[in-house]
Amino acid sequence: MEGLILFAVSISTLGAIYAMLCLSLNLESGNGPLWDLGIVSFFGIGAYTYTLLTADPALEQQSFLLGLGLPMWIGAIGAAAGGGIAAWLIGLPTLRLKREYFLIATLAFAEIIRQVFANENWLTNGVAGIYGLRQPFKSYFDAADYSYVLLALTLCGLAFTWYVTRRIIASPFGRACKALRENEPLAITAGIDPQKTSIRLFMISGALSGFAGMFYVWYNTLIIPGQFVADLTFFIWAALIIGGIGNQRGALVGGFIFIFLHDSLRFLQVSGEMAVAFTSLRTALIGLALILILRFRPEGIFAERPVRFDLPALKREARDA
Amino acid sequence: MDIITFGLISASVILLSSVGFALIVQVEGFLNIAHGQMLLLGAYSGLFLSNLGLHIIPASIGAAIFCGLVGALFYGLLFRPVKAKGVLVLLFTSVGAAYVIYGVVGAIAGKRMLAFDLPLVRAMKLFGQPFMTIYELAIVIVAIAVALCLHLFLAYTPAGKSIRAVADNEDLARARGIDPLRTSYLVWFVASALGGLAGVFLGIMGSLHLSMGWQQIIIILATTVLGGIGSLYGVMLAAFVIAFGIEIGLIFVPASYRSGLAFLIIVVVLLVKPQGLQALWGGGRDRTH
Amino acid sequence: MLEVSNVTLSYGGVRAIDDVSLTVAKGRIVGLIGTNGAGKTSLFNVISGFTRGDKGSIRFNGAAIENVRPSEIAQLGLVRTFQTPLGFPRMTVLENMLVFSRADAASRGRIFGRSKPDGAILEQAMATLDEFGLASRGNDLVQDLAAPELKMLEFARAMMGDIKLLMLDEPAAGVNPALLENLTSHIRSLRDRGVTFLVVDHNLKFISSVCEEIYAMADGRVIAHGDSADVIANPDVIRLYVGTGGADNSLSKEAEA
Repeated sequence: MEGLILFAVSISTLGAIYAMLCLSLNLESGNGPLWDLGIVSFFGIGAYTYTLLTADPALEQQSFLLGLGLPMWIGAIGAAAGGGIAAWLIGLPTLRLKREYFLIATLAFAEIIRQVFANENWLTNGVAGIYGLRQPFKSYFDAADYSYVLLALTLCGLAFTWYVTRRIIASPFGRACKALRENEPLAITAGIDPQKTSIRLFMISGALSGFAGMFYVWYNTLIIPGQFVADLTFFIWAALIIGGIGNQRGALVGGFIFIFLHDSLRFLQVSGEMAVAFTSLRTALIGLALILILRFRPEGIFAERPVRFDLPALKREARDA
Repeated sequence: MDIITFGLISASVILLSSVGFALIVQVEGFLNIAHGQMLLLGAYSGLFLSNLGLHIIPASIGAAIFCGLVGALFYGLLFRPVKAKGVLVLLFTSVGAAYVIYGVVGAIAGKRMLAFDLPLVRAMKLFGQPFMTIYELAIVIVAIAVALCLHLFLAYTPAGKSIRAVADNEDLARARGIDPLRTSYLVWFVASALGGLAGVFLGIMGSLHLSMGWQQIIIILATTVLGGIGSLYGVMLAAFVIAFGIEIGLIFVPASYRSGLAFLIIVVVLLVKPQGLQALWGGGRDRTH
Repeated sequence: MLEVSNVTLSYGGVRAIDDVSLTVAKGRIVGLIGTNGAGKTSLFNVISGFTRGDKGSIRFNGAAIENVRPSEIAQLGLVRTFQTPLGFPRMTVLENMLVFSRADAASRGRIFGRSKPDGAILEQAMATLDEFGLASRGNDLVQDLAAPELKMLEFARAMMGDIKLLMLDEPAAGVNPALLENLTSHIRSLRDRGVTFLVVDHNLKFISSVCEEIYAMADGRVIAHGDSADVIANPDVIRLYVGTGGADNSLSKEAEA
């Protein structure tokens, strides 16, 4: 029983991290006009930035840059900044492109970045990765209880991401992004600059994804390039589509549902050859779920809702003021 | 010499895997991510047939036909019903389809690396230097022949003309008495069969492993972008540019940067020509910013 | 207010606009007529910055705008419409209004702008919608509007910002006679509130009734310019319209009506 609870806590933590990424993706691709197939780049860069800033210096057999052992809050800022700056650098050339080209170009950069993680040993310790990374507030709690603490911390991160994305979507800036999604030429005649707006949006999403990367490091206590493959991008997209693209709640729920679908089978202990077949079938199942959702409920579990204003209440307010 | 040899061989495989993808882009208007898994399916079904004792040539043909049928089936079952819902739905349906193929092949074949059991041969010599093996030469010849046939097919046969007509303007094609449905099935069959054949070739040249579909789709995407989305001849040219670009680039960077190099090439090209190589022979469109 | 001088634009060897000059004075309603392919829409694209001309200068309120980005031209108050009014389909009518509002334009630069629009702005939006017969539609999605309602929304949202010159691209296309009356009176009332107009249309009757001044274009050139009545009576213009027949015979249709 206890094992089951710990397992549930563990996949909930992972679900919360996925939900953060879904919210970030929803901000740029659901509410905004950017079809980003490279969200894993910023997630990975955030995670590596955090690790390099906060980890202890490299040991003899290892090699990676920095290892400054800085406090975690600096690492958090670094993770977000890393993601945002990466988005800026990638966005400069690619945001000029049409949608389909942008899609492929972002996928391209994600692949290049992953190969850099894997090949540049001096920077990241290569495919061997960096192990034994610290988790926050670990010393204050009993080791057995720590997974609850980590879940709580991750949920705080999720709440923060929720608040930020929600605020942005409701603001005039968010409205401008949505207008660009709907009808770019018309949005231009409203004085919206597609370039400037898109790059800003891309950077915010990049920063939020980078921030989520920090939690992934805490969750795994290790970092390897294999964690940041294009699969993850497709998973996040699948999660967002299942939950409901363009809807905050959809993004939130989608992240958890996806993880429950994908990882709950992990609890069943099977051995050897069976396990391989099992993992493969799990992937096929995810594919099937995605196909079925798109076929029968393409708007997802929570469809995008129109932004409505409570007109009588506003009238009253205006009268009172 | 090595660069020419390897460049020629990998260009052939890239060409074969990309033309089918480009054909679907042209007719259906979306990026079919599942195309990469057709290569996986082709490679493994080819291996299956070859392990049954079939000679490699009928095994390749059988694998190609099998993939073609699966492709046509996927079209009818998965893609046609959601066509009206837009590009994004089609794209992610193809991602779903890719995972289904990947998962099913993985469950049956397992994670081990496999290889075709072909008799070993010595490389033929050209000007006294080892050039390529008979298998590699066959791959190059078949790929070029396929590209040529595809061109003749599209340009001169009624079925090929109908494909081009549907790609240009579906409504107009229908008005001219072409059945777009039959044309679409044909396209999916041909495209997927070519993908399957490319998969067998990829397996012959190296080994078979589960991630080969994902790795190759990345190269295919790079080729398609470089050629200009939807331009078949652009893609044919791009296959050679990418292949030789990679081989030359590998002089300077480690081999593990292979697909990264392909992407670096397209990033550079897109910066100069945002419409891909097809912009070189016109076809640029108005941009809003 | 708007001075276009010697603008030229070629597409792959074809001169879409050939040395065109025109002037729109403040407070005027100026028409631009011509057959399909005469270069009217191309000229619109060049003025609004969507396409860059090959040659020539464009000045708006004294400032050169031929190299200014389209969004910045819109910010200056020179706003165009498109032939098919679509709006932002999956946004509500009020959201569509807000996107064009002064308040949104002012705080768009901040990422954390206010998350609830100012009550006064919404009041203004609602009052404007009321004026254009869309009061009950405020919270509906634009994709659910009927075609005439979409037309009205184009005018309504123009009232939300600081539009100085509104360029209408074929406002009368596909519009029934009753709505056309309505359109004419709205253009006039907007003009009375300080908006200048440049209107492209095929419908000569509509153009001549609403515009005070007309430019006629053919094959990328201006072939006639002057008071509405004079241009309509110009033999070159008549020949052009009657002679083409086929795809574009608005005048003969009007004559039959």
